Amino acid sequence: NSWWLVFGIICFLTLVTRFYKITEPDHVWFVLLECSGVWDETHFGKMGSWYINRTFFFDVHPPLGKMLIGLSGYLTGYDGTFAFDKPGDKYENTSYVGMRMFCTALGASLVPMSFLTVDEMTQSLTGATFASLLILFDVGILTLTQYILLDPILLCFIMGSVLGAVKVSSPRINEFSKSWWFWLVFTGTMLACCISVKFVGLFVVLLVGLMTLADLWNILGDMSRPVMATVKHLMGRSVCLIAWPVLLYVTFFYIHLTVLNRSGNGDGFYSSAFQSQLIGNSLHNASMPRQVAYGAIITLKNHRTGGGYLHSHYHLYPENVGARQQQITTYTHKDDNNKWLIKKYNTEDTGGVTIVRSGDLIRLEHVPTRRNLHSHKEQAPITKKHYQVTGYGENGTGDANDVWKINVVGAKDGTEITAVSSKLKFVHYLQSCALTTSGKQLPKWAYEQQEVSCNPNLRDPNGVWNVEENVFEKLANVSFEVYAPTFVERFLESHAVMFQGNAGLKPKEGEITSRPWQWPINYRGQFFSGSSYRVYLLGNPVIWWCNLVFLVIFVFIFGASAIRQQRGYIKSFSEAHKEKLVACAWLFLGWLLHYVPFWAMGRVLYFHHYFPALLFSSMITEEIPQWFGEKLGNTVYHTLVAMVLSTVVYSFYLFSPLTYGMSGPNANEPNSTMHGLKWLD
Amino acid sequence: MESLRTRKHKDHLIEQCSDAKKKTEKFKKSNGGLTKKEQHVPNTKDKLFRISFEIDLLSVGLFFCGLITRMYKLEEPKNIVFDELHYGKYVSLYMKNTFFFDSHPPLGKQLIAGAAYLAGFDGRFKFDKIGSPYPDTVPLLALRFVPAFFGSLIIPTSYHLMLELGLAQWTSLLAAILLLFDNALLTQSRFILMESMLLFFALFGIFCLLKFRNYYSKPYSIFWFFWLCLASVSLTCALSVKYVGFYSCCLGLAIIGRDFWKLLSSIAISDRAIFARFLIQTVITASVSVLVYLCIFYFHLKVLYKAGPHDSIMTSAFQASLEGGLASITRGQPLLVAHGSQITLRHTHGRTCWLHSHNHVYPIRYPDKRGSSHQQHVTCYSFKDVNNWWIVKRPNKNDLVVEQPIDVIHHGDVIQLVHGITSRALNSHDVAAPVSPQCQEVSCYIDYNVSMPAQNLWRVEILNKDQNGEAWHTIQSMIRLIHVDTNTALKFTGRQLPDWGFHQHEVAADRIINQDDTVWNVEEHRYTKSEDQKERERELVTAEMIPTAATSLSFWEKFFELHYKMMFSGTESVQNHMYSSEPLEWPLMSRGIAYWVSSTSNAQIHLIGNLILWYSGTFGLFVYSSMLIFYLLRRRRLCYDLDAKSWEQFLLIGETFLTGYLFHYLPYFFVERTLFLHHYLLAFTFKTLLLAALIEHIYSILNDVLKFKIIAYMFVMLVSLWVLVTFYVFQKFTVLCYGTTPLSTNDVVSLRWKDTWDFIIHKN
Repeated sequence: NSWWLVFGIICFLTLVTRFYKITEPDHVWFVLLECSGVWDETHFGKMGSWYINRTFFFDVHPPLGKMLIGLSGYLTGYDGTFAFDKPGDKYENTSYVGMRMFCTALGASLVPMSFLTVDEMTQSLTGATFASLLILFDVGILTLTQYILLDPILLCFIMGSVLGAVKVSSPRINEFSKSWWFWLVFTGTMLACCISVKFVGLFVVLLVGLMTLADLWNILGDMSRPVMATVKHLMGRSVCLIAWPVLLYVTFFYIHLTVLNRSGNGDGFYSSAFQSQLIGNSLHNASMPRQVAYGAIITLKNHRTGGGYLHSHYHLYPENVGARQQQITTYTHKDDNNKWLIKKYNTEDTGGVTIVRSGDLIRLEHVPTRRNLHSHKEQAPITKKHYQVTGYGENGTGDANDVWKINVVGAKDGTEITAVSSKLKFVHYLQSCALTTSGKQLPKWAYEQQEVSCNPNLRDPNGVWNVEENVFEKLANVSFEVYAPTFVERFLESHAVMFQGNAGLKPKEGEITSRPWQWPINYRGQFFSGSSYRVYLLGNPVIWWCNLVFLVIFVFIFGASAIRQQRGYIKSFSEAHKEKLVACAWLFLGWLLHYVPFWAMGRVLYFHHYFPALLFSSMITEEIPQWFGEKLGNTVYHTLVAMVLSTVVYSFYLFSPLTYGMSGPNANEPNSTMHGLKWLD
Repeated sequence: MESLRTRKHKDHLIEQCSDAKKKTEKFKKSNGGLTKKEQHVPNTKDKLFRISFEIDLLSVGLFFCGLITRMYKLEEPKNIVFDELHYGKYVSLYMKNTFFFDSHPPLGKQLIAGAAYLAGFDGRFKFDKIGSPYPDTVPLLALRFVPAFFGSLIIPTSYHLMLELGLAQWTSLLAAILLLFDNALLTQSRFILMESMLLFFALFGIFCLLKFRNYYSKPYSIFWFFWLCLASVSLTCALSVKYVGFYSCCLGLAIIGRDFWKLLSSIAISDRAIFARFLIQTVITASVSVLVYLCIFYFHLKVLYKAGPHDSIMTSAFQASLEGGLASITRGQPLLVAHGSQITLRHTHGRTCWLHSHNHVYPIRYPDKRGSSHQQHVTCYSFKDVNNWWIVKRPNKNDLVVEQPIDVIHHGDVIQLVHGITSRALNSHDVAAPVSPQCQEVSCYIDYNVSMPAQNLWRVEILNKDQNGEAWHTIQSMIRLIHVDTNTALKFTGRQLPDWGFHQHEVAADRIINQDDTVWNVEEHRYTKSEDQKERERELVTAEMIPTAATSLSFWEKFFELHYKMMFSGTESVQNHMYSSEPLEWPLMSRGIAYWVSSTSNAQIHLIGNLILWYSGTFGLFVYSSMLIFYLLRRRRLCYDLDAKSWEQFLLIGETFLTGYLFHYLPYFFVERTLFLHHYLLAFTFKTLLLAALIEHIYSILNDVLKFKIIAYMFVMLVSLWVLVTFYVFQKFTVLCYGTTPLSTNDVVSLRWKDTWDFIIHKN
């Protein structure tokens, strides 16, 4: 009964702290990252709106988090019309509270879940209370989980996965019982959700995977049980922890791609075939001949993500940039200057219908200016190792350097070339170099369009093109539907695009990004700031530093007891002691897995990336005083817990203005209430 | 007890010499006299002051095979091949004592430079581009000799390494032969490249460690110290050739750590003894390594004392300590910055540029509709220019002439900085900077009478005042300029201004004061002298302040600065190199690197491994891992397939070679730089050694455990056949290693066994 009482009190406290002032501020909340931030409520709120409006967009994260935000908004009557234009906009009559409530609720669930996890791991009420209070009173977690962001959702699922995995491997739940199966499926679901919110969820998948392996290993080692027991466990777990999450993950993407069926600002990142599926896109419901024939007018799209159309215009390369001939670029928008006429290499005659085949020699004539696509041994404007590509000739007559060999990637010579689906390479016949685009922007003289060059390395991955529009009257038009990619193709393509987007998040020169070593010591927070009303994401220093100290103590204790055991001073641990040690070791591993990989990442990192690791370290912090409790007796243990807790509560009181927002003067001005607490610079 | 131990110790010392010999005798027995061996000195067991030594002819033979293959036509092609471009250049700079900057440590280049020095190379050859011919003045043989020599040493070293792990002599021979027959190792050893040295030091270090393991039972014996020190030296050398040698050091530490952990469980040793041993081992390893590493850098900095092409990467202080270059400009300039000083301010860390201003103003509106102050640009400019000069001025004094006594600026003083040419003062205010809007704009103040007062006071904060005192010193003082009104720091933002700012770098004022980009230092400096001042007084002023010697930095200052720069440079490497590859492509050797092609024929050098060997190595990895898992699972169910000794042995080869492979391979997945196939060579070597050890294990399983004698015999036949095929492939591809045979187009095409290999074919 006292268990329920404590649990009840903790839940109540959670609700009070989390939902206090939830509607404030009533304008769009935003995060000012040190330099250029696009990570804020405008960002994710906007994506929620897009789901409601069914507009297609591109984001580097998987869709579940934003889908849930969209769903919660939809269910609470948000109509998706609010623009989320810029931070500081008033919400006015928009019902934004639903979305915020949803995120806060998920964030609030962290506290009871951590209570249950620790309770299951250690069977100690005081321990569980202590751990959940640490999470409850951390201002950083509180701040992060109060707004429309992906993090509350992610943290909730991570915690859920850990809870599930702990329950599954607990000796107190009978294997293959109903509740065991429930927790197994629960774990699987949570894992799928984690990884469908952000790819960082991968680390918790790894942790749960290791825990499962360790479980199986223990079962295998139990000689009183047959091998079949292990096989049964293995089967059960691979179904619930591998097959089921994969299925869920794919389902989330299926929903994502089905819901978003209108053209939006994300179209350009995807291939022509993908775009043809979006209502409102110019390729939607288009019809054109399937094969490409000589005499057809085509547009060529580069196959790299976000690649533009092969483009030319009435302007020459400037003096000193290769030969003074007409510019060739790629251009991401659709206009008439993207149109090219496809001709045989030796004749202007286009009578009759001859299909272009892989391996043919062709010329491409720019329709508006009637110049041929041409290349020669001059340096390209930016990528100096490539050759320059120009428009050359008059009225379609040029010279031998206009001849290109057209190849379909991965097909034999003689394959017919089809619109949209054929991946084409254009190899310059005389120089043997491949038409490619480096994706680099040209200077002003080329209107900042992207460079096109001819790469002597024929294996250039950017040198792949496809025909997008195909106008030729002598062939029958077919509907674009024939190119409709299957769900699997769209699924794979959206992953390719996402990974490329993630890899592109590199810090620019001179930009200050937060470095992993700064996180555990709470070195510098992150501004969430409105105009006059500010919130600062900063952990409760007492909790964070406690965590750090206890981590060190844990490593020390663990190392010492391992050495003592190896030296033969400890013959075997007591069951309870062993359980505690194992629990701590798992939590420590969880902390490592969620923290160490960031050291190896070159992408832009932010302070909030540390919060999953923080959950684990908070749970370790709880176990250490227990250790001392065992050694020194209950009184000391309780005094220690009480001392830490009271400091934590007091510091929470001190720092809570950071999270509930303050409207006074800046902290560096002397009359501010926060002046005394000015942080490490 | 004590005396007994010492006697044992002595006995042991005597046994040392014959120890290795005994081992070989043992092998002789076990292999039925198949091994060829020669013992030059007869048994001298009971005679004092005799050194007995023996020569393992196999190892010598292997060494000569290595020498022959590696040194054959070493001087051909007489052109610059691939990275010889860089390393050759560094060697020539060593010859000329000219400072250069490279993000790799110097040992490899030093060794080659040593050979070049002995051969009398004067360094007067411009390594301009790949393929240009060497003139006769370049002692090419000497330059290429060092890598080729180390490359040949790799083969006997790996032979002994395998022996030391307790593997049979046949296996060790097999491993050495496999490495001998690898084309990639051959190619990489023949030119002025670092990998062969790195590989040798790494393998030799591990070999020494394994030797060291033999003396665990007799700690503190001479050989115990000897092998431990030698291992530390060798592994540190590997680290000092290329920093990837760090992973070899980690492997070494892992081996020692693992053994030590096992040692903990032996009750026979007291706690104190074991702790003492841990301490001594750590101290020896650490001190030897640090010493070797420091010596290498000491030599490096000692030899390179002249200014050279990479000066601008280093700080002004470093540059000034080199002969020529900045030192010749700054010699004789006043030391202390004072009211009236004319200075140039250099951005200290990162990109080299100087605080700059010119007679142009910020555009009224930017394209994103933000407004500006419309005052004069302040930028950071990467070239020396008359507009980089600023005059230091105290706010309350107007006469700029420096008079006696000099009014020196100290830490914490508030100053104004007046631009020399336009006479406008450095100013900042609460207007967003053009490219980094979260920072404040910095401008030179123009009074438009629009109620925007001048905020041109800056406080000087000297960062290294502990070393140089409170006064502001030229070159040596690193300072921050803190804007007094807004408490922001003058910062180089790293971004370029658009067209209107002539693409110069933006300078702004940032609230975050504590960062590298806000650090500046004075580079050039002179005092303002009015023409009509008395001659004598002026002379007094200058004469007194001229530093008597050129700026000198201590070794430590230079050492730490060099390391700082080495850590934070290296992002500038070429993107999209034509022959770069990804770590995932390496095990299956998707692509090689074209090193050189003759201008007249298709004779070419291409780094490509022995296909059979690389694939079987990768296959071996999988076989070993699956066997390991199989054994582990079986043992968990208490089924012991192997006896304790062979299980130990099986684990040992995995712990050495599989861990070695993973240590040298996995880190590359987290590297951002452009990677090439030759980065895989270390991992490849471990993979090949594992393969050889695995073959022995499978043979012993078939022969001893399962007792399928016939299958075991067939297995041996199969392996021999496989070695023959390996040799066949090796000799087929040697044309690409030596590059002396002109090839027809068909020849080249016929060698293209994988579609992804890009050999070069001339078009006629």
